[in-house]
Amino acid sequence: MSYAPHITGWGVASALGVGRERLRSALLQGETGIAPVRRFETSPFKAHVGAMVAGYELDDRDPTALCHEFGSLALRDALEHARLDLGCLRSRRAALTLGATLFGDESTESVARDLAKKFSIDGPAITVCTACTSSTQAIGFGADLIREGLADLVLAGGIDVLTPKLFAGFDALGVLSERPCTPFGLQMGTTLGEGAGFLVIERGGLRDAVTYAVLRGYGLSGDAFHETSPDPRGRGVAAAIQGALDDAGASKAEIGYFNAHGTGTMANDTAEWCAVQSVFGSELGGALPISSSKGHLGHAQSAAGVLEMIATLECMGEGLAPTTAGFQGPRPGGPPRPVGTKKPRPLAYDLALSSNSAFGGNNCALVFGSAEPTSEDEERRPVFLSAAAALSNSVSSVEELALIYESESAPTDGELEIDLSSELPRVDLRGIDRASELLTAVTSRALGDAGVRLRGTVRERTGLIAGLLRGSTDSLERFHGSVDRRGLGAPDTTAFAQVLPSAAQGACAKALNIRGPQSTITIGEGSGLMAAVLSARMLARRRDSDQIVAAAVDVRADDVEGGALFDAACALVLCTTPTAVEVAGVGLAGPDQLDEAIAQAQSSWGSNERPELVIEPPKPFAGLPATSSCFALAHALGSLRRGSARTALVASKGTTASLAIILVSTEVNHDN
Amino acid sequence: MTTDLSEYVASRVAILDRVRQILRDTMKLKIEPEAIDPDAPLFGTGLGMDSVDAVELVVQLDAVFGLELANSPLASTKIRTVNTIVDAIMEVRGES
Amino acid sequence: MSLEAEYRSVRHGAALSRMDHVGLLRLVGEDSIEAVDAVCSGDLWVRDGRMLQTLILDEQGQPVADVYVCPDDDACFLMVEGMTTEDFSARLGRHANPELEIELEDLRHEHELLSLHGPYAWEVLSKWLTPDVIGLPYLSFYRFDRGICFRAGKTGEYGYDLVIRSEDATDARRELLELVNSFGGSEVSLETLDLCALENGFFSVRHGSIEGLTPLELQLQWRISTRKRFPGIEAIEERRARGIRRRLTHFVAREGVNAGDALHGPDARVGEVMTAVFSPGVGGLIGTALLDISVAHPGIDQFFAPNRDSATRIQTVSSPLLVNRSLFVDPHRHTYSTREDATYPPLWQGSLP
Repeated sequence: MSYAPHITGWGVASALGVGRERLRSALLQGETGIAPVRRFETSPFKAHVGAMVAGYELDDRDPTALCHEFGSLALRDALEHARLDLGCLRSRRAALTLGATLFGDESTESVARDLAKKFSIDGPAITVCTACTSSTQAIGFGADLIREGLADLVLAGGIDVLTPKLFAGFDALGVLSERPCTPFGLQMGTTLGEGAGFLVIERGGLRDAVTYAVLRGYGLSGDAFHETSPDPRGRGVAAAIQGALDDAGASKAEIGYFNAHGTGTMANDTAEWCAVQSVFGSELGGALPISSSKGHLGHAQSAAGVLEMIATLECMGEGLAPTTAGFQGPRPGGPPRPVGTKKPRPLAYDLALSSNSAFGGNNCALVFGSAEPTSEDEERRPVFLSAAAALSNSVSSVEELALIYESESAPTDGELEIDLSSELPRVDLRGIDRASELLTAVTSRALGDAGVRLRGTVRERTGLIAGLLRGSTDSLERFHGSVDRRGLGAPDTTAFAQVLPSAAQGACAKALNIRGPQSTITIGEGSGLMAAVLSARMLARRRDSDQIVAAAVDVRADDVEGGALFDAACALVLCTTPTAVEVAGVGLAGPDQLDEAIAQAQSSWGSNERPELVIEPPKPFAGLPATSSCFALAHALGSLRRGSARTALVASKGTTASLAIILVSTEVNHDN
Repeated sequence: MTTDLSEYVASRVAILDRVRQILRDTMKLKIEPEAIDPDAPLFGTGLGMDSVDAVELVVQLDAVFGLELANSPLASTKIRTVNTIVDAIMEVRGES
Repeated sequence: MSLEAEYRSVRHGAALSRMDHVGLLRLVGEDSIEAVDAVCSGDLWVRDGRMLQTLILDEQGQPVADVYVCPDDDACFLMVEGMTTEDFSARLGRHANPELEIELEDLRHEHELLSLHGPYAWEVLSKWLTPDVIGLPYLSFYRFDRGICFRAGKTGEYGYDLVIRSEDATDARRELLELVNSFGGSEVSLETLDLCALENGFFSVRHGSIEGLTPLELQLQWRISTRKRFPGIEAIEERRARGIRRRLTHFVAREGVNAGDALHGPDARVGEVMTAVFSPGVGGLIGTALLDISVAHPGIDQFFAPNRDSATRIQTVSSPLLVNRSLFVDPHRHTYSTREDATYPPLWQGSLP
């Protein structure tokens, strides 16, 4: 059973106004929210403009407080639009998928945790922390929760705040335009923004709601090219767009408008145009109306995807194509005729495409509109586990992990040493940080054990979902330290590219050449198991990959509350080719709903049997918020392979979600 | 060696060694500074630095030598190799 | 075509050359990169679709071949200068694990190599192929209908090497030459390319008199691995332990300096000239010298080559010697036809001694 994700409302806090009415009227007037930055000193920087949330231009409170405020405003606005009472969410099997990327001391799931609590969202709250693709991916994953029947209502979106350090990092990289950015236009560089946006996505027919649009599909990919620059030939963007079209069951001719990432930088705009031409061909591509909302809203980072999609929805509803504010003529290498009129241009269309790209090479595209799907959703495929790799002190294999389970002995002290350059002699590992090193080691080992060689099209059909809580401790220290020592005018840019929680996933994908669907997510404690749950659901439903590595990494963060006590990483290869162990049941529910999650897993398995083994995270590794649940899954795989049991349950009460996975030896299923 | 030649060489070598050290640290190379050829290209081929490394290098050169490259339109011609960096530093110091 | 005219093509417009001196090989099999790794001196940190420049050394550590390694899924392209395909094959046999399943194809049987060089070489190619070739990063390659396009070049200008099937090569050469002519350029000889390479500090295995020299002296340490054991490593280690005594240094001079000339400083002999050739860009002689390590630095004008009755001074310089036009040409913004609209700094910004 598959449910179409209906969009029944949305809300924003943006540079063009708080509330969607303000946003709409500003968009229709062709206004821009970019202005000289007044919240903080910009004298250390080359650029001095930004797009702050209207009314908050001078508000220099703690970014976490602003994050929460923007998020609350947007959520309230969305609920109002969808005609849902505040507080009614508790009874509605509601979930939250949030794009948010933090690089301070805060653990990345804290924003989702706090908002879910405030708005009584009892179901799972999943945070996607892939910087500029965060909210785009959050929307895709949110739609999946509806499709899979894991939630009846999802608030999907993203939040970001423009802080001095964020500004400093981008400015130092030389990608900011001194004047307001002109995507696809004559000025090079982008302008940073901020804001929050949420969509209300629901299962149709459950209540008397207006469906404004349907989320038809999404596509994910990785460039596996560079930490900050996109693949100049746009191959990753093209793959994400094609993936979204395939997921939507839509042909390229059906797309009536494209809201591009269009940051205005040299690198992005030309690569994106290459991608459009590659997917749509020169004729269709040349005729496709394209614009970028960043001229209005700036680059809202983790909120870019949702705000840009909402801008499109607002205009679509009025029979208009959003325009590109500030456009005065096309740049060479970009689309020759983007929509660049002063105000949105009249256009009737019922299917739109929106795309975003991020540091680390992540790309995500969405297809949405009033055109309903004409074909049935595909059958769910069975998913199997083919290999696992585990790494920590005292553990360098799943066998050693089994010994830990048996003996419950504490891991040895001292620094975990790995010689990644011997394992990957063909890869330039200079400058790799700790999280990237650990993630790459376990991912490479697991794929090796699974017999997956990343060659040819296998690269595009292999995905990577990383679950973790924060950026690599060493990179965070280097970046923040550089600002402390050298001031905001001279941050360590290499470290800046690495502080994002998604940097490790990007570095691993680049090192191993993994170009398929990928993301970095967190639910706080239990993130590793969440990665596995997400990977399993994606493999079951989608057709764009044959295997996805679900991985987790923890880097010791002694002085941070809830930080990992030592370094660890774990990776599991999930695949659609039958192996000895099947992922027979998966459950996902709210943080206080562990029983519900287990019941879901049991029911999706479809058996009355209770699993023989119940595997918990190994006690000695309790201090590993992301990895310990992943260790449990790896151990379950090992146990079933060894014949210790035929069925196993791995469950976790994570910080913002509860999860359960039931593994079954495939001989059992054949008997049934 | 005449005095001014030996003085010139000594100045140059001191700067050369320091620049090699900065490069080694910026790029986290696991080699001795002497193993960085003074005429090896820094970008594209050679040491294989990229634009992100370049930003950090420019910051370091400013911090250690007061060499301001960030706003110079010919910045890209001054940091093509270690020797070109040393040339730029010596020029700033009036020692060339 | 005179050398000056050919030089102008390369440095100011676009030039075409046949690269018959370069070996074209394809090693096929899952283990192809491992096999190449056993023969070459550098760490092969190179991904599919990219290119890496490395060396093959003899047992004395002396470079005997200059190689581009270009992995391509379960195969690897190699462009080899300085060594025949037979010799390369013999080396593979000697150094690579015999159990590796690989097959060596000599692409020269059915392909030719044509190269484009110049600040507008990208523009020629964007007309001959498709505009998106502009997005091809330096040291990358991709396939097109008639062959493979590698972006490399050893002149300091935009450079592209085109591996084209023999049956298409004549037409391709004619079409490219027409385009190149329309850019005010011409076909150029190896001599011109070698001159340009020398001006930009590119090592050439053909520049004679590297006898007894290793990457340590030749400033090619960046092409040798610090981690693996490769043919010639013992000689390198020995020399490193002993300490480098001489280093290759670039110089310019007015005239009267020849390969093999001894070089003297105020007190003593300091080295010898390795190559010396006239450069239209500099308006004088350019070359390389092997100098005593204590004085192997740019910026010295006190050395001279005693030559019959006159002493000719040399000025040591950093390489690359030129401020290449290509540094200022952005394929997204500039074209050959609008080149006059911009002002460029002079190619050579130094002075002769």
